[in-house]
Amino acid sequence: MANLSVNLCGVTLKNPVIAASGTYGFGREFHELYDIGQIGGVSTKGMTLEPRLGNPVPRIAESRGVILNAVGLQNPGVEHFIECDLEWLKSTGTCVIANVAGKTLEDYEKICARLNGLVDMIELNISCPNVKSGGMAFGIKPETVEEVTRVAKKGAKDTPLIVKLSPNVESIANNALAAERGGADCVSLINTLTGMAIDIERRKPIIANNTGGVSGAGVKPIAVRMVYEASQAVKIPVIGMGGITCAEDAIEFLMAGATAVQVGTANFTDPYAMPKIIKGLDEWCDKHNVKNVSELTGTLVLNQR
Amino acid sequence: MKDYQAVIVKNEKIAENIHEVTFELNETPKVRCGQFGNIAVGGTHLLRRPIAICKTEGNLVTFCYQLKGEGTRKLKDMGAGTRLNVLLPLGNGFYVEETEKKVALVGGGVGVFPLISVLREYGTKKEISAYIGYRNQGAVCGVEEFKKASKFIGVTDDGSYGEKMNAVQAFAADLEKGNRPDVVLACGPTPMLRALKTLVEKENLPCYVSLEERMGCGIGACLVCVCDMTNGAKARVCKDGPVFDVKDVVL
Repeated sequence: MANLSVNLCGVTLKNPVIAASGTYGFGREFHELYDIGQIGGVSTKGMTLEPRLGNPVPRIAESRGVILNAVGLQNPGVEHFIECDLEWLKSTGTCVIANVAGKTLEDYEKICARLNGLVDMIELNISCPNVKSGGMAFGIKPETVEEVTRVAKKGAKDTPLIVKLSPNVESIANNALAAERGGADCVSLINTLTGMAIDIERRKPIIANNTGGVSGAGVKPIAVRMVYEASQAVKIPVIGMGGITCAEDAIEFLMAGATAVQVGTANFTDPYAMPKIIKGLDEWCDKHNVKNVSELTGTLVLNQR
Repeated sequence: MKDYQAVIVKNEKIAENIHEVTFELNETPKVRCGQFGNIAVGGTHLLRRPIAICKTEGNLVTFCYQLKGEGTRKLKDMGAGTRLNVLLPLGNGFYVEETEKKVALVGGGVGVFPLISVLREYGTKKEISAYIGYRNQGAVCGVEEFKKASKFIGVTDDGSYGEKMNAVQAFAADLEKGNRPDVVLACGPTPMLRALKTLVEKENLPCYVSLEERMGCGIGACLVCVCDMTNGAKARVCKDGPVFDVKDVVL
């Protein structure tokens, strides 16, 4: 039994495996299949100050090795979460990460202030590619990444703030640095890559929103490279995600520089993906004589060219 | 719900573009009619295929599926002995009240298969009339099952089997003759359900419809497969449905 616990900006997670926002709701449905208290953390469905109905359907499509989605931030609003889900989610024993989005800088500050002190961590969604007012406007340029982070941190003054970075940018390293300058306690990446899938019989995109966020096994090499670049650039911890399906995938991200990982699309393919990844991490560490999983972070050695 | 390691015991074509697959599980699942399973076809397909459960018998579970894309075409080529993960039972299913003695089933296209599960669950307890529409003679299937109903009226769009009309028209014609059910259960293409909604509202008949939508997780977590409710809210087809009171949904 290896020690799987990790310290993420002062918060101890029992293991480095976190459910990625949008694939896991608030945890209740997966709790019908297994005890979600064994998961390192749950990043909730992205929330806004007011409830949102999201995009029209179809909201999902598939391409080999990946999926595309455009749910469009459908959520019951932050007050509903606080009233109906927060205490229950905490009681499971998992680390509660509130994923939040907004239309304006003021929205980000308000929602962070509302959740400050109530949850273990706040994850800022400044990179939802599927709604015009989902924060994507903030997530592209380093200047706006820094600005929205600074404003959000004013709200989240006592709660560690994770800034979730978009891969649809010029330089992931520069945007990670911008988040760090703005006061982020941690960055997570990658959010989905913008893509399109076409129904050739109808000559129309399958997804009603036309474009959707691409995720799943196929995006993993891109994500690993970006996690490496971001973690080289910043001193704050990095949460890696993008196509993680098994323990070996998670270890790649840890070696590339991540302190913890998130698992999203794999939950759809196999609802038990996360418990299996946690078990696999433990087995891999034992086999490789790794006492603490945290020892793996950033141990990648590049080939000499 | 459980994620079963299911073994294919039979997988064959039953009509034009329609195949039937039977899995053996390691136990007898508790399934209600109208529920569905989420089948992992594996490989590069990251999404499972949500398919209505057609029948269960002991440890055997049968699904009928339409060949639609790469996933279902891959499934059709899997032979007996193939192991797949199947998450089931999912969704709410159909429910007939004690007081509802006469049940009308109205189905079209692949929507006929969940109705077979209704017939198998309630066939001996209720007086069931089935109004089933197919595209043409080649698409006709499930007749052996539907013939076990008190009444079976099968029709086609082109008149190559039964009369030339759709399932809703067949049901409406029987209604006019005074054959009025206590409840209507339906599944089929949206235009069919829309026509049925208009009819049952005019006739003031209780009616429940099973909806279809592209799904992500299949268990209610991802909010991908939503439908519009008449009260302005969204409902999850996989978890709150797939069966809804027709009054509650916008079609």
